[in-house]
Amino acid sequence: MLRDLFNIIVKEVKELVRNPTLLLGMIIVPLVVFPLMGFAVQTSMEATEESMKNISIIIMDHDANGSIGYIFKEFLENRSITVDEIETVNLDEAAVYAQESNATALIVIPQGFSYNITNHLVAEMNVYIVFRGGGITESASSSVIYAFIESFKRWLAPNPFIAHHESIIKGKNIPISPDALFGLVMLQSIGMPIGIMMLLIFAMQFAATSVASEKEEKTLETLLTLPINRFTILAGKLTGSILVAVVGAIVYMIGFNYYMSSFTSAMPTEIGVDLATVGLAPTPLSYLLLGASLFVSLISGLALTVSISIFAEDVKGAQALVGPLSMLLIFPMIFMMFTDIYALPFPLMIVLLAIPFTHPMLASKVAFTGDYLTAVIGIVYVSIFTVVVLYVAAKLFGSEKILTAKLRFKGLRRRKRKTAE
Amino acid sequence: MSLTIEAADVVKVFGDVHALDGLSFVVKSGEIFGLIGPNGAGKTTALRVISTLLKPTSGSVKVLGRDVVSQAAEIRRLISYLPEEAGAYKNLSGHEYLKFMAKFTIEDKEMVRETVEVASKISGLEKRLKDKVKTYSKGMKRRLLVARALMTKPRLALLDEPTSGLDVLHSVHVRGIIKQYVEQEGVTVLLSSHNMLEVEYLCSKVALINKGKIVAEGSPTELKKKAKAANLEEVFSKVVGFA
Repeated sequence: MLRDLFNIIVKEVKELVRNPTLLLGMIIVPLVVFPLMGFAVQTSMEATEESMKNISIIIMDHDANGSIGYIFKEFLENRSITVDEIETVNLDEAAVYAQESNATALIVIPQGFSYNITNHLVAEMNVYIVFRGGGITESASSSVIYAFIESFKRWLAPNPFIAHHESIIKGKNIPISPDALFGLVMLQSIGMPIGIMMLLIFAMQFAATSVASEKEEKTLETLLTLPINRFTILAGKLTGSILVAVVGAIVYMIGFNYYMSSFTSAMPTEIGVDLATVGLAPTPLSYLLLGASLFVSLISGLALTVSISIFAEDVKGAQALVGPLSMLLIFPMIFMMFTDIYALPFPLMIVLLAIPFTHPMLASKVAFTGDYLTAVIGIVYVSIFTVVVLYVAAKLFGSEKILTAKLRFKGLRRRKRKTAE
Repeated sequence: MSLTIEAADVVKVFGDVHALDGLSFVVKSGEIFGLIGPNGAGKTTALRVISTLLKPTSGSVKVLGRDVVSQAAEIRRLISYLPEEAGAYKNLSGHEYLKFMAKFTIEDKEMVRETVEVASKISGLEKRLKDKVKTYSKGMKRRLLVARALMTKPRLALLDEPTSGLDVLHSVHVRGIIKQYVEQEGVTVLLSSHNMLEVEYLCSKVALINKGKIVAEGSPTELKKKAKAANLEEVFSKVVGFA
């Protein structure tokens, strides 16, 4: 039996890997499209950085008696900002000038600005950002201007106190800003569900193709008359699909990582936080739970796919039938990315927990939550679900339905037409 | 002479259609038995029941003394089935396909190699076996499949239209191989065909099937004599009712 299983797995892998359409989706998209997207993002990020070096501000200083406007101008110039002071007192004229001279902003310092500051009164300053159609570059430049204004304020009047933001994780104080931690965990909690979803979608696609192509290529009848246990055929198909899907998912994640890194490389690397050192990295136990959860969900997804694709006449039909199943993956993934499942309304939470594919995504959060029990219960639930679906798939595969399902479909259609008439 | 196939009062129903309606016949070991009949007569369904793909709704079928329902797994070890519209895995090479198939019946590596070698000769594809199946013509694919069906020397070969899609030369070659396998290797063959010339040349016994049951049976000579016909085509027309 093991020999037969191995023989089928080798054939399945060869067939899948040599299928040009599958290969296109599996290799070309992640290894060509993602890097291209990443390149586009990185190039525009670099363009933004470049344009930030060329920030220019027009200052209209009405505070002739005061000196703080002059100090502000020097403060900006010392920080490589091009400052252009204009003489006019007309705001409209100044606005036209700012637009035409490609300036980033127009700052108007009103009369009495310095007096108010030195006398501890509220001083005002008008900042006009020149809008040229929006876009990341413009928004980043305007943020830079706000930041300079803020730091000028701090320079004039230092903070009365400084608050140090740190975190407490699992009852332990960790000297890392919670913002940085949220960012990192967010990145991980997005990455993991996407990876899991891709793996499942790939595997389900392959399994559907693998069963339906036997029908389409007319090889199924011969295969079913060979001296092989039907369950071995099923197991071979599932294993072959999983093996190729793992490669597909890895390739996809490499591409996706490259794409994501094009964002993160442009972000300030304020702290080199290693999640392992703060106790948030997956422990061997959480890895084990994630692995087990992923494995049972994979099998249940594939068994579900096989049971459905048995009713398809060809590969296209199978993919159309199996397509809606991916909703069961996308649905929990979206929720998991943005919220804690237990914070959702009860009925929605139950619906999500009933979907087997929710559980590996939940298990991937165990490292952060430390909630091992939920992960174990999830594994038990998905295992039971898997056994049931696998039993149905094996029954269908072992019966003549695998050959006659198509006939029944036709019969059903004919019957429906008759009743319609 | 022992019996390879015993079909008794076999009925197979799909919805409202009686594909087989009391089919009964026996095939003796070592003979080439031809099943002929018009389209939709039930030939393919009969072959599918005998090859354990479909279960009869009622009646019984035994292959080499084993029941097709309760002993299907055992039967699959003894038979080889070539469906009419069979295909091969297009992304495998012909050689890989034959090896894949041979490994299910033969354990010894050397024997697998020899069997594939035999198939290479039967198919006449030889060097082309290195190419992927998707590059083959219809005829080449059929030769590959016939070779697959015969290479393991099964006790019973069920061949549905074995020469369909083959040109004259290759048809003659395949018929020669079938005859040789029966005479030298003791293979029993049940075949269905629309080619009466082929049936007359190959089969020692022929059964005419119509509407799911046998309407005439005997050797080609007996059938021709009984129907006062010059050839099997005439017999077919007279018995089935178009003459």
